[in-house]
Amino acid sequence: MSPPTAIVADDEPLLRERLVGQLARVWPELQIVAQARNGREALEAFDELQPAVVFLDVHMPGLNGIEAARGIARRAQVVFVTAYEQYAVQAFEQGAIDYLVKPVDVARLTDTVQRLQGRLAGGAPPDAGSALDGVLDRLAAELRRRGTPGTWLHWIKASSGASVKLIPVDQVVYLKSDEKYTLVVWSGGEALIRKTIRELADELDPDVFAQVHRSAIVNLRQVAQVVRGANETAELHLRDRTERLPVSRSFLHLFKQM
Amino acid sequence: MPSTSLPEESPPRPLLVGFNLRNVTVALVLGLLAALLIHPMFITPFPLLLARVLGVALLLLLVYVAAGRWADRWHPDWLPGGALQVLAVALSAPLVTLVVSLLAVGGDVSKFLDTPARMLGATIIAIASILLGLLISALAVLRERDAHARAQALQFALERSTLERQALDARLSLLQAQIEPHFLFNTLANVQALVEERSPRAPAVLKSLIGYLRAAMPRLHDGAPTLGNELALVRAYLELMQMRMPDRLCFGIDVDPALTATPLPAMTLLTLVENAVRHGIDPSEEGGRIDVGGVRAGDGTLHLWVSDTGVGMSPQAPQGTGLTNLRSRLQAFFGQGADLQLSERLPHGLRVDLTLPREGAA
Repeated sequence: MSPPTAIVADDEPLLRERLVGQLARVWPELQIVAQARNGREALEAFDELQPAVVFLDVHMPGLNGIEAARGIARRAQVVFVTAYEQYAVQAFEQGAIDYLVKPVDVARLTDTVQRLQGRLAGGAPPDAGSALDGVLDRLAAELRRRGTPGTWLHWIKASSGASVKLIPVDQVVYLKSDEKYTLVVWSGGEALIRKTIRELADELDPDVFAQVHRSAIVNLRQVAQVVRGANETAELHLRDRTERLPVSRSFLHLFKQM
Repeated sequence: MPSTSLPEESPPRPLLVGFNLRNVTVALVLGLLAALLIHPMFITPFPLLLARVLGVALLLLLVYVAAGRWADRWHPDWLPGGALQVLAVALSAPLVTLVVSLLAVGGDVSKFLDTPARMLGATIIAIASILLGLLISALAVLRERDAHARAQALQFALERSTLERQALDARLSLLQAQIEPHFLFNTLANVQALVEERSPRAPAVLKSLIGYLRAAMPRLHDGAPTLGNELALVRAYLELMQMRMPDRLCFGIDVDPALTATPLPAMTLLTLVENAVRHGIDPSEEGGRIDVGGVRAGDGTLHLWVSDTGVGMSPQAPQGTGLTNLRSRLQAFFGQGADLQLSERLPHGLRVDLTLPREGAA
């Protein structure tokens, strides 16, 4: 019988080398056929070398450990390695999935190795526990939720000379169309951007920003008062500013219930 | 839905507001005293005299209030509003007395002019009202000015306490644990690896970790934090991260050494550098470079920057608590004088520029 093979994936080289060293002591027959620095490298090495065991750090750049495990999809015994991802540890516990906590403890590693050896000897399918897929799906969704940005625009990009400024939307007072550009007025100054009022109205959080006119969007937290005019129109007075913004008839309902 | 309030345009204050119960009572009481005072000089029955004096007092109060309202809107530069009120009262006193005296004889001018006693009485009342009017309106003006000054002092105190509270909030947010457990355990695992393999790097790395922990621990009595302290902290943090990701992170710190004693709110640069690692370098397979710099501009403002070549920022990424707290700390420390600007780097990455006034406002 050929000796068992494994891949170790971790973006931190000292930790990767340490685990490799510990495995050499606890499981001398195990051949580490590749080391990977991220999920993508781990998957590529797996496809090429088809090892029996894969040690995957959960937190890795690009493709993370959970996503790499979904790619491997039960074609190998997977052991996760994690530093402090409490939610991940809970999920592994519930799903009876093998995991190690960094810094990896030799006694704990020995337990894991014995379990792996038992499964490999018995020819058991990797992680017969059918919970695996569900747990991985949930974890992947959780990680994606943490990593992905929100729905609404939080920064407006404005070219200024050679650089592109990022204007935080919570400091924007109002936006007004100006010929083919849009003028952004914020606490740090003014800028012209190419996005149209119509596009911005869809991308900005409606709890904070309201379109009050065909050509204007205002940050509602910057409105000092609304002064009604003739003909079902109104004017917005802004905090700490002298300029007024017109409210056209079709947007007046925004201020009606107050 | 918007929760903006809809205050009404404030209409001009009606004249009657100045004509309140307190003012009228004061005028009536003083009028009564004046009437008692001059009564021995008059043969007129006391009730009639009293009625005339009170009439004069109330009319002068009206003049005082009206002059004040007018002075609110406009008064010449060389004549303060209060003086204008006093002058108006003094000048109108004889006229008002004349009017009241004429009313007392039913508007019959000849009857009034033919009676020397009435002329004398009116003159006495006029003189008394000029003197008393001058005195009382001057006192009233001083009183109002005093009340105004007190209201203003109160307003200042309120603003100051708001600023102090904001500064306190900012300090409290610093006291909450800054050290992420994930960072700590990963770093300790690395240190352990170095120690186990008896690496000669271990002591230096431990020194960086201790330096970082000491600076990042909640501190209650913060001496005056300086740019020098902050740079030591930033260097310790970047050295730790470079030990952990040697193939993905490189950094440079280039700050004018003459600036190390400059006061700077704690964690100002560290917040930016941590963000650069966490959101710029760490998500990237290739990693990148972080540069920290600082110069004093010719006009005395301090210019600091943190720049990375990481993955950059998505326009939908919420402004994190680190950056939000940093903005409020800078405002508490420098007032409106501090400026924090973010810009994109090409081909990818983020740069944060801080412009800080020479002196902290705090």
